This record gives sequence, structure tokens and C-alpha cells, in this order.
Amino acid sequence: MTQTILSARGLVRRFITGKPLFGAPTVVQAVNDVSLEVRQGETLAIVGESGCGKSTLARLLTRLIDPTEGSVIYGDRDIASLSGTELRALRREMQFIFQDPFSSLNPRMTVGALIEEPLRIHRLGTAPERRAKVAGLLRKVGLRPEHADRYPHEFSGGQRQRIGIARALATGPKIVVGDEPVSALDVSIQAQVVNILEDLKEELGLTLIIIAHDLAVIRHISDRVAVMYLGEIVELGDAADLFATPAHPYTEALLSAIPIPATGARKARTMLEGDPPNPIAPPPGCRFHTRCPYAQAKCRDERPELRTPSPDRQVACHFAEQLSLTGVNAAMAARPDAAQRRFALYSHARAAMAGAQTDKTKPTTEE
Amino acid sequence: MTDPSPLLDVRGLSIRVAGTAEPLVDNVSFTLNAGETLCIVGESGCGKSLTALALMGLLEGTPLRVERGSAMFQGIDLLSAAPDVLRGLRGDRAAMIFQEPMTSLNPALRIGEQIAEAVRAHRDIPRDAARARAAEMLQRVRIPAAGKRLDEYPHQLSGGMRQRVMIAMALANDPALLIADEPTTALDVTIQAQILDLMRNLGAETGTAQIMITHDLGVVAEMADKVAVMYAGRIVEAGTTAQVFDDPQHPYTLGLMSSMPSLAGDQGRLVTIPGSVPSPDDMPRGCRFAARCPFATAQCEAPPPLAPRGTGHAVACWHAPLEDFAVGQRREVPA
Repeated sequence: MTQTILSARGLVRRFITGKPLFGAPTVVQAVNDVSLEVRQGETLAIVGESGCGKSTLARLLTRLIDPTEGSVIYGDRDIASLSGTELRALRREMQFIFQDPFSSLNPRMTVGALIEEPLRIHRLGTAPERRAKVAGLLRKVGLRPEHADRYPHEFSGGQRQRIGIARALATGPKIVVGDEPVSALDVSIQAQVVNILEDLKEELGLTLIIIAHDLAVIRHISDRVAVMYLGEIVELGDAADLFATPAHPYTEALLSAIPIPATGARKARTMLEGDPPNPIAPPPGCRFHTRCPYAQAKCRDERPELRTPSPDRQVACHFAEQLSLTGVNAAMAARPDAAQRRFALYSHARAAMAGAQTDKTKPTTEE
Repeated sequence: MTDPSPLLDVRGLSIRVAGTAEPLVDNVSFTLNAGETLCIVGESGCGKSLTALALMGLLEGTPLRVERGSAMFQGIDLLSAAPDVLRGLRGDRAAMIFQEPMTSLNPALRIGEQIAEAVRAHRDIPRDAARARAAEMLQRVRIPAAGKRLDEYPHQLSGGMRQRVMIAMALANDPALLIADEPTTALDVTIQAQILDLMRNLGAETGTAQIMITHDLGVVAEMADKVAVMYAGRIVEAGTTAQVFDDPQHPYTLGLMSSMPSLAGDQGRLVTIPGSVPSPDDMPRGCRFAARCPFATAQCEAPPPLAPRGTGHAVACWHAPLEDFAVGQRREVPA
């Protein structure tokens, strides 16, 4: 019933990391045979630890880099084959939000010029129309139109990330990819930006692909989650289900490692000893077998395919059906009633405050 | 619970940049008993790291000055002691580890030598004894093949391993106090779990009291005996971990906790804190949270004291407990 908007088939990307004068170059297989479908209107999260290939995958999906093998189908075309005007048209429909709001905005351009730039490049609208559009975009992300004349250094991290979002939305994209869009922000600012992303997605009917390492943020914003380990997707499924009942041992280990901010919560467990293996020489068989607490002989020899053992869940583990793994559930983060009531008080007062402020000033979103 | 003579007794610590009207860190007080872990939690710029640096005497050479306050540690006032006294103390009885191990380790020195150096700086012992101590410390922080690792350079180690080396170095002289500034923030979650585990176990083994500085409430719930929540240079709420998590009283504590997405389930739209922190050169005179606070009134233009709310629990809010606050009473407080 839900339509696929973007699909990756057998994506492989290798990077050459060292080229000696003689002998073979060192090659890292950053993304290894990844296939996935992105559904129209969903938020798909790609999670994993440093070096798992999640950012490379995001760049492949939007063709910021070219795949070594495989294809990415958008509409009815393989975007790897596009060039010139067709590629430029694609850029209008797919936009990127970067992690670091300090290095991704040109410090010598005003905020207005930064947001207008994509419109100018794509020759959208006349100059006055573009200016009006910039003002509208600034309002959408909770800034004020008069901010257009200022420079990025005059803004805080959270405000800069809003500018980055406004810029990404300028051309009216269908797909927005965020590479760690909130992880450089403080908790209170992160929450504001998460809310803005969710509101805009709703309002504009966007499809979001979010790369992140913070699983709580992922759980909150995404519909489906893909878990990556050493360049491969090891599990993919509905966010709520996957967190409650993980099917891959790596997903279980990731979830168990996160400290939960409640006194009655389970203690985070160290299920994984040591560090992830070197991606230059990944282990044979299942790439996770060297750290997997459930590994058996088969895992050392045979690479598990990404299977679909139950509807809406894909997992790359030989023993997914036999294992009974532990996830996280609401009871773990439960708060006592007294605390619950106080949070309700805060929430109520906060809503009243937002209401009082909208009466006074026009912009709807908090700053 | 309150020891008559705590290991560390900080009173009225204020830090100021010359020329600003309001101090950056304002009247911070807390105590720490032997074997306890205190977490100082807050967002960027709340003064949590400055507090730690001041205690270690590491504000020298910066435009920041300790303006007032005392910090008694084993008979020495850390805030007024002479530089050579502090130098003798640092790395010996009081040690510190930082967020980014790569910038704290000397890249040109083998890790064994770096740990041995830390030992020999404070103890007059032969080189091979110091090296043996280094090997022992690497084992204690559970570095596999410790003997071999002694001769490796920092760049040969992963981030998690480097942080273990930092911990080994910090604990090499059996300090009574360990200050850890965001020790796991740069690490992946599975590695973070390993390091937190290690710090908890070593703390229990050695009885070293820890001050852990973090922005992550999950880490706090996991590690702390006591918590101090800081906002814009002031402690706004302090108490045992159970008090702060199960009976949070300050609007900032509530806002911070509400802002965090939950790993465990749906919570609908996140309830946020509006606005952003006041700028360090323009700190409000009254309650520093008032401009962002849904419970602010005219009263908040005066700074609220950190007042006791039951044993060990203290809150700096004129309107605590918030149950008595009628919504609609709120007044805009100028920032």
C-alpha cells in the first residue's frame, strides 16, 4: 500500500585508503552489498557506530558520491546514470542536512543569500519572489525574516541548524537526508530541532532519511530503522518493533549499551568486548561473529544473507529464529507517579507559555 | 549520609571573566565523600567544566579568575593553594581525565612511558618499577596483552583503548579524587558501556571518589550517587540520584528531562525548553533560567537561593514545589 520512493540494489562502495609505490593498494569496503527500499512519506533511520558506513550509504543514496557497484532507483531511473540537467533536476528533489552547522554554512554569505542560493542555482522564481520565499522559510524554521541580513556567526548552533534546514527545504525537495542533524546540539536545542523536523515533514509531506548514532532520537523520529555493522545492513524493521524485540544480536547489544535516564532502569550491559574489527580486513562469514555472544561454527564460514523471516522485518543472522533477544520497553523508563505529575505540570505550563507568546508575536515556532 | 568531614568540600565557588558584570560560575557549593560519585550535569556553557578546571587549579593562563570560594580537600584549599602545592597534588592525590584522549596523550611517547612518567613525577622509584606499575595499571583497566601494549604509541590504539590508558594514568598513583570531564562523550555506545563499567568497578575497588561531568542524563542515572544540575553557572538542583530523577523540582531539570527522547517508548511530541542559554557576557542578575521558564514571575528577578527540600535535596527556585503554581500567573522576565 505504501509506495517505494527510492530503492537501492546491491550497493557497494570501496575507497582506496593507501596507495603504496609498489604493491596492492589498501581498499576499504565502506558499503558492502546493501539493498533497501525507502517508502514514500516515511522517516527511515540508518544507525550504527563510527565507521559502519552509514554516512557513505546516505551519500550513495543521494549520489553525492558514486557507487562502485549497484544502483539507486528513484522514480523509474537509476540515478547513477544521470548527468547534466537531469542530475541538477534530481538535486532539487533530494536535499541534504549536514551534521555540523558551523562548517556547512559559508561564513561570508548572509543567511538570506545562503537560503536563496539553491533557488538561484535552479533558477526558481524572480528576485522578489525568492526574497519572499526566504522570509517564508525562515518563519517555517522558527526564525524571523529580518534574520536574513545577518551572517552565520551571529547565530547559535541550534539556530544555524535551522538555517541549514531552511536551505535544504528551499527547492521544495521530496526527500531530505539528514546526516546526524541533531547530534552536535545540546539536549534542549536538539528537542526543538527534532520537533521542527517532524512538523515540516508532516506539513510538506517529506520523506526523511536520518543518519544517527543516538538511538533514543532514532526511536522518537523514525518509522523504520536500518542497523548497520561494518558496511552491511544487519537488521531492518519497524522502529517500535525493532526496539522492543530485536532479532539480530548486534541490535540487542546496541540497545543494551544505552544508559536509560531513570532510576529503576536496567543497568546498561557490556555485551560486546573489544572494538569493531578493522573494515580493511573484515572477518569472513558473518562480519559480527568475532564479537557475537551467540556465534557458532556456521557464522565463521557462511555469510548470512539479509532475510525476511517475518513481514516487515529483515535480518542477516543464521539463527534469528532460534534466538530470543532482549529489547527495551516502556516499563524500563517508567517514572514514579509523583514525578509523572510534575512533568505534566511542566508540560501544561510550557503549553500555556507558548500560547501566550504566539498571541504577542507572529512566528509560530519557539525560538 | 552527611559525613562530618567530607573528602572535598566546595563552598561558594565563583569564577569571573574580568570586565563582566555577573560571574560565569556563581556560588557553587557541594560536598563529596570518600568513595562517592557525584555527577555534574548540564548543557554546554553551564560552567560544569569550568568548575572542574578550577578545582584542579587549571585556570592559570586563562582570562578566568576564581573570585570567591573555598574547596577543602585533605586539609588543602584547592582554590587558594600555591601553584607548586597543586602541581604536587595533580596526578597524585587528585587526577583528571578529559573527553578527548588523543589530545591529552603525547603522540610521540609510548604509552608505557607516559604512565611511568606520571608515577615517577610523584614517587622516587626506579624506572623498571615504574614500568612494572604501568603494566599493572594497563591490566587493571582491562587492556588485552598489556605487556605488549606498553610499547605502542597512542595512534595505534582505538578511542576506547586510549580512554583506558588515560584512566590507567589517572589512577596510577591511587588518587583519592578523580575528576572525569565527559569521559565517554567521544565514544560509540558499546564502547561507552565498557568504559562506564570499568569506571564503576574501579571506583568500587579503590574507593576513589569521582566527579563525573556529563551532559547525558542516562550516564548520570547509571553512575551517580549524587547529582548536581547546573544551568548558566549555577547549581539549580542537587540531591541523590533518586531524588533528582524521581522527584525533580526545578523547572530546568524538568525541561531537560522532557526534552530527551525516550529509548523505550512513544511520548508524542517532545516538550521543549524554549529559547537558548543566556550569553556569558550578559548573564541575568536574577534567576538565570527565568527568561525560558514557564513558571517565571516578577519574584524571579531576584536570584533564588539553593534551598533545602528534604534531606540532601536542594532546589534553587522561588516556586518550588511547583504544585502551588497557578498557570496564568507567569510573567515575562527580561533576559
